[in-house]
Amino acid sequence: MSWRRFRVTWWDWTLMAVMAIGVVLAVVRYAGGIGSVANINNAYPWGWWVGYGIMTMIAVGGVGFTITLLVEVLGVHRYHALLRPAVLMALLCYSGAIIMLMVELGRPWMVWMILVSWAPTAALYEVGWCAFLYLSVLAFEFAQVPLEQLGWGRMLSITRVIYMPLMLLGVTLSHLHQSSLGTLMTLIPHKINVLWWSEQLPLLYLFSAMMAGPAMAILEYLAAARWLGFEPQMDMIASLARLEAWLVGLFLAFQLGDLVLRGAVDAMLSPTWFAVSLWVELGLGLLVPLVLLMMPEVRQSRGALATACSFIVGGVLLHRLNVTVIGLRVRHWETYVPSLGEVGITLAITAGAMFAFGVLARLLPIHEELAPSHAGERRAAVPAGALQGARGVS
Amino acid sequence: MTAAAKPKAMIQDNTRCIGCRACMVACKSWNNRPADHTDFFAGPGYQNPKDLDANNYTLITFNEIVTGARPDWVFGRQLCMHCEHPACASACPTTALSKSALGPVVFNQNRCIGCRACMQACPFLIPKYDYNNRAPLIHKCTFCADRIEAGLKPACATVCPTSAISFGDRDDMVAEAKRRIAAAPGTYIPYIYGLDEVGGTSVLHLSSVPFEQIGYVTGLPKTPMPDLTHRWLRVTPHVFALLYAVFGALTWITHRRSRKQDHEGKTA
Repeated sequence: MSWRRFRVTWWDWTLMAVMAIGVVLAVVRYAGGIGSVANINNAYPWGWWVGYGIMTMIAVGGVGFTITLLVEVLGVHRYHALLRPAVLMALLCYSGAIIMLMVELGRPWMVWMILVSWAPTAALYEVGWCAFLYLSVLAFEFAQVPLEQLGWGRMLSITRVIYMPLMLLGVTLSHLHQSSLGTLMTLIPHKINVLWWSEQLPLLYLFSAMMAGPAMAILEYLAAARWLGFEPQMDMIASLARLEAWLVGLFLAFQLGDLVLRGAVDAMLSPTWFAVSLWVELGLGLLVPLVLLMMPEVRQSRGALATACSFIVGGVLLHRLNVTVIGLRVRHWETYVPSLGEVGITLAITAGAMFAFGVLARLLPIHEELAPSHAGERRAAVPAGALQGARGVS
Repeated sequence: MTAAAKPKAMIQDNTRCIGCRACMVACKSWNNRPADHTDFFAGPGYQNPKDLDANNYTLITFNEIVTGARPDWVFGRQLCMHCEHPACASACPTTALSKSALGPVVFNQNRCIGCRACMQACPFLIPKYDYNNRAPLIHKCTFCADRIEAGLKPACATVCPTSAISFGDRDDMVAEAKRRIAAAPGTYIPYIYGLDEVGGTSVLHLSSVPFEQIGYVTGLPKTPMPDLTHRWLRVTPHVFALLYAVFGALTWITHRRSRKQDHEGKTA
C-alpha cells in the first residue's frame, strides 16, 4: 500500500511536538473549564478560537469546493492535479474546525442537539447542518483514494456511481455555509464596527472563501513540489495565479464598493486602530497580492507566487478576526487578547492537519506528479470525471 | 384565567430607585445564586459587582452624574429585557432559548451546547457564561418564569421598598409608564426604554436623565433584530435548489463535451 518509501522527517517531529503541547492544553481545558486556558470572557464570548480556529479554517477549507467547482463543474481539467490535494485539504480543515468546536463549545458532548433541533432562524443551525453534511461528502470523496489502493473494486464502483450527485451536493452546501458564517455576524450591527458590519457579510464571506481557495491550492502545490520532490507544472499554476488575480481584484472592488456605498469612508479615513486594521487587511491582504499576481514574472516564480498567496490567506484570516474579534466593541472597559493557551490549541490543531496531510501525501497517490508509471493501466476501468487523473482520460 | 395569560411586563422606574439593591438580593435568593467575592471597580461607576455575570442576574448601576448644580448618584438597572422578538433565541441553533406566551425568554439548559451565540447576539449584552465550570451554562434573568406561571410577581418586584419595580400585563404597564411621564414631566425624560427598542421588550425603563448616561445601550433599531439574519436565511432552501440545479446543468454540459472528445479520440 505504501507506494513511496515513508520516512519520518524532522518536520514530522516538530508537528508532533506542537500537537503534544495541544493535547496537554486540551486536558487542562477539559479538567478546569474553558476559563482555565482561554481569555474569552463575557464581553468577548468568541475570540481567537472562533475567528481563527473555526471561521478561518472553514474559509481556507473552501479550497475543496473552489477547485472542485473549477475542475468538475466548469470542466477546467487543466487543474485536475490540484483536485485531490484540494479535497484532502478541505477534509482536514473541516476536521480541524470540528476538533476546534469540540474544544470551544462549553458542552461539546451536547453538539448532536443541533441535528435533532428545528431552528431555521439560526445561522449557526444552518452552518452546523451544512458543515456536518459537507464533511461527510468530503470523507466520501476522499475515501476513493484509499479504496483504490486497497483494491476494493466493488466498494469503489458503488462510490463512483453516486460521486456526481454527492460532488454537486458538496459544492452547493459549501456556498450555503460559507455565506451563513457571514449571516451569523449580520445579527450584531451594534457591536461590529462600521468598517466590517455589512448587510453583504454573507457574500463577503462567500467570495473571500472562493478567493482563499486557489491561493491555498497554489501554496499546497508549491510546498508539495518542494517537500515531496516533484517538478511543478509552472504553466498550470501560473494560469491559476492569473485567475486568482481576477478573484482578488473583484473581491477588493466588492469590499471597497460595499464600504463606500454604506458610507464608511469617513471611518476608513479616521485615525483609529480599527481603520489601521482595515487598511492592513485591504493593503497587505488584497492590494499587495493583487499587484504581485498581475506581474507575469511573479506568476512564474515559486517563491514570489507563494508569498503572494500567503498574503491572501493572511488577509482572509485578518478579515475573519476583524469581523469576529478586533472590530467588536461592547463596553469600553472590556478587552480581550488571546491567551497562549488559546493560540497553543489552535496551533496544535493546525499542526495536526498539516501532519495528517504530510503522512497521507506520502502514503497515497494524492499528487498526480508522483503517480507510478503503471497508473494508466488501472485507470482504464475508471469513468471520466471521477477523481482519477485527467491524463488517463485525455 | 384568560386575563392571566396576557403577556406580562415590568416597569423599572429609575427615578424611584434609591440604590438599596434589595432586588439583587431577592434575585440571588430566588435563583439560588451564590455570593461572590468582589473587588472595588471604578470603571463605569461605583457599583458592585461591576457587571452582570453567572451569579448576578440583575445589577443596580451607580452612575455619577451632575444634575442641577452638583454631582449625584443616578441609578440604572441591568437585567434581561425579555424582548418580544429575542435575538438570542433566533441565534440559538438548538432552540435552548425561547419566548414564552407570558413574556419571559426562558432558557432550557438541557438543550444548550455552549456555543454562546446568544451572548454574541444579545443587543443588551445580557447572557453571561460560567467559563470556569466544566459543564457551563448560560446565565441570565429568568423573569422568574416559574413564579409568573404560578401567578406571582418576579422576586425583585416583590421586595422593592420604593415601588420602583412594577409588574403586570404589558398593555397596562405601557399605559402606566406613559401616565407617569405625563404626570411629572419635570421628573422624567419623555422616553420609555424598551417600548420600541428592537421591536419592543417586556421590561420598560424610565429615567430622569438620558439613558446613555446611565449605562444603557442606546441607538438600537426599532425593528426586531432577527429580521437581519432572517432576510438571508429564509431564501436558503431556494438558493440550495437553484445552485444545485445550475451546477448540475453545468457539470452535465462540460462532461458531455469531454465525453464527446474522449469518444472522438478513441475512434480516431
